[in-house]
Amino acid sequence: MQIEFKVNGKSCSLDICPTMRLIDLLRDELGLTGTKEGCGEGECGACTVIIDGEAVNSCLVLAPQVRGKEIITVEGLAGDGELDSLQQKFIEHSAVECGFCTPGMLMSAKALLMKNPHPSEEEIRQALAGNLCRCSGYSKIIEAVKDVASLS
Amino acid sequence: MSKGFKYVGNTFPCSDAARKVTGDLLYGTDMKLPHLLHAKLLLSSIPHGIVKRIDTSRAEKVPGVIKIFSHLNAPDKMFNSFRIIPGQELCIEDEPLFSRRVKYVGDRVAAVAATSLAAAREAAALIDVEYEELPALLTTEEALSNKEVKIQPGGNLAHEYEVDVGEVPFKAEECITVESETQTQRTHHGALEPHVCLAYYDCSGKLTVWTPTQGVFGVRTVLAEFFGLSYSKVRVIKIPMGGSFGGKQEFLFEPLTAFMAMETKRPVKLLLDREECIIHTRVRPAVKTKIKTVVTKSGKLQEFTADSTLDAGAFSGSAPDYTSSLALKVTKLYRIPHYKHTGRAVYTNTVKSGGARGWAAPEIITATEVHMDQVARKLKMDPVEFRLQNLVHPYDLDLVLNLSVGDARVIECLERGAEAFHWKERYNQGMGRGRYRRGIGAACGAHKNGMYGGFVDCTSMVMKMNEDGSFNLNASLHDVGCGTVTAMGIIAAEVLDVDPNLITVTEADTELTGYDPGCYGSRVIYNVGACAKETAEKLKEKILECAAFILHKPKEYLIIENGSVFVKGTEYLSLTYKEIAEKTLQENYTDLSAAHTYYSPSNPGSYSVQFAEVEVDTETGLTRVTDFLAVGDVGRAINRGMVEGQFQGAVQMGIGYALCEEVKIDEQGKPVNNSFKKYHLVNAPDMPDVQVLLIEHEGDDGPFGAKSVGEISAVPTAAAVINAVNHALGTSLSDMPLTPEKLLAAVKNR
Ligand code: FES
Ligand code: FES
Repeated sequence: MQIEFKVNGKSCSLDICPTMRLIDLLRDELGLTGTKEGCGEGECGACTVIIDGEAVNSCLVLAPQVRGKEIITVEGLAGDGELDSLQQKFIEHSAVECGFCTPGMLMSAKALLMKNPHPSEEEIRQALAGNLCRCSGYSKIIEAVKDVASLS
Repeated sequence: MSKGFKYVGNTFPCSDAARKVTGDLLYGTDMKLPHLLHAKLLLSSIPHGIVKRIDTSRAEKVPGVIKIFSHLNAPDKMFNSFRIIPGQELCIEDEPLFSRRVKYVGDRVAAVAATSLAAAREAAALIDVEYEELPALLTTEEALSNKEVKIQPGGNLAHEYEVDVGEVPFKAEECITVESETQTQRTHHGALEPHVCLAYYDCSGKLTVWTPTQGVFGVRTVLAEFFGLSYSKVRVIKIPMGGSFGGKQEFLFEPLTAFMAMETKRPVKLLLDREECIIHTRVRPAVKTKIKTVVTKSGKLQEFTADSTLDAGAFSGSAPDYTSSLALKVTKLYRIPHYKHTGRAVYTNTVKSGGARGWAAPEIITATEVHMDQVARKLKMDPVEFRLQNLVHPYDLDLVLNLSVGDARVIECLERGAEAFHWKERYNQGMGRGRYRRGIGAACGAHKNGMYGGFVDCTSMVMKMNEDGSFNLNASLHDVGCGTVTAMGIIAAEVLDVDPNLITVTEADTELTGYDPGCYGSRVIYNVGACAKETAEKLKEKILECAAFILHKPKEYLIIENGSVFVKGTEYLSLTYKEIAEKTLQENYTDLSAAHTYYSPSNPGSYSVQFAEVEVDTETGLTRVTDFLAVGDVGRAINRGMVEGQFQGAVQMGIGYALCEEVKIDEQGKPVNNSFKKYHLVNAPDMPDVQVLLIEHEGDDGPFGAKSVGEISAVPTAAAVINAVNHALGTSLSDMPLTPEKLLAAVKNR
């Protein structure tokens, strides 16, 4: 079936199998492999992308569901070669270790900040509740998001 | 900036951080090769039985299927996934590519190679397997008492050991005896990246394997020996790794992926899903430990007798070594006049056990530290005071290993941590009477620094200065995700006084980088880091020699500063690294490089003391860790932010170990927690903000005094949490994990 949607600002029109998951569409059809798969069942958050402003687990979304929608993946965070402030702060705060959870963390944090530019620590922790990290214990990730929230 | 250092001790992002935050870094899951085939496993659904028949006829019809593999068309040769070097002791070869007699739910029965993962998955689901079931032994007790059913040909006892050191002291004082039993459970490593491996066997007869491994040379050993290939025709390349925690340290899937590549003559990628990672790969072994101590009434340990039983699962793998290591931890931590430890590894029809962060230390130290709180309570002593009387002092002799513990600062960790955590005031505060009870707990831990004293521990590197004064450090690193590549760059940068960004550091590739046994045994910063330092020092000498030649001054007159060489006392007579590199090529007709092999000379202890505060809800049985302090005797932090991150991440793992993580096997032998839905990793709202306090003394042989961090950080966490729960409830719980059900039962029984 044919679907049209936007990814990272670009319009796409693709012929896809209706049972395809969004994560496979992004990774295999569009080559956007920044989005990771850690569980395939909506429990780890590594596959988080933003659809029309909401953080969503792309492993739980079927491709036809994104028809007419606007998707942002981790590849769409940096604009014109310049890193997004979230990306910069993750780097500065040593919030990136193995990096496998990082794209999903960034997208969940981004969705939060898009709606609520100055969240409290509690709100940040809640927004990241669905994103597991086995390396960092979350402290430095929270610090990084807090730092972005305190900018501007 | 730390005193006296320009780069060491500061915080640097890991060198590939920019690629990780943009999604640009390719992991194994993202890698593609031309004509790539995708493989999918079919795992046993029964815990013990014979595969009578495998019907692949329906599976073969799936479009895209290239070949289906099982014991019917695979060699019946065995390998051991833990063999790092040929002839390694305690490596029983008992693992086939595919089992004909399956030995656990999750054992490998078949695999499909197809042109897409979807086709491979569809086909695997269509394979019909008929089993003849055999009685399954699911616990170590059953396996030891049942003499008829043998899981492995030699019986169900995989390994035994006994350690007995020191003398029973003459007891001038009255003593008490305390006995305890602690059960630590099977856990999943939980690296976010699932297991993955790619292999290609080209028409010249060369095998290339791309794998996120902790030891490329070990992979090569297993592959070359298994397939009878020349070591020079096996190339193993370490690729980016999304976490390991020991889960990817053994050579689990390289033989199978290579086999499928050799058979299909196409590159093959094997990628596991989460369920396969949990039920098929390896788990941290479950260990039951009984401890009996004799202690004087004034609180001095006299005797420590322990007996441990480790559940190896269905194959030996690393279990014999792991089990023996249970006896190598306690005497690094405490002064014990008489230490006796017996133990065994037992086969069961359950998922294979394997290497896990801390290598037996979290298991035995948890049992020990939970026991020590019981002793303190019996003595009516503050548990911190009791420990302070018994912990090792710097340069004590570890009786079991007959090695110095080095500049062991565990006492300082405990004293400074207790002060920072306001231990005394908080410990003596009541635990509360209402629904919510508060308690605090402390625990100490010890771990090692490499393999010195029992295994090969050398590493070889080459460092080159380029034409523009930048550097390449060619090293066999296996970054598991915690920034060892960055750390090596910082070390070399400190020596050469250049910006670490000017140094590019490699990871391991058997064809291109020097020998290194791998990222195990907490050897990387202490030994590989020391090699980076000495290699850079060697190169620095060469740079000075060349500068001396160019400047016509004796080498002794020269100093290095900020990427340039100066003649002492004269600012105008100087050469930048770039100028030296260019002139050396143009005028000396030589390049600037240094090769070095480093042999570890010692194996001191690394220490951590951790403090937890918990709040237990006596109505729901739920425990929240509300405050946490991790103190680490790390010698010297090379990359401060990453060292803190190691402790904070370890605490996440340890809290899960104490309270909720478990791969449980039901009565049918099926793993109950086979997904992240049923296997809970602690998430951000449930994690306290972990404070980290580093004790830095630089008394040992590591680079700038650095000692290991990654494993020791995970050793005492669970015990600190359990001790806090027991403090909150006035209990002596030691059957892990402390789930709400167990806590509610304990509250009821009080
Ligand atoms: S892969 Fe989608 S939530 Fe884990
Ligand atoms: S950085 Fe490794 S899982 Fe988060």
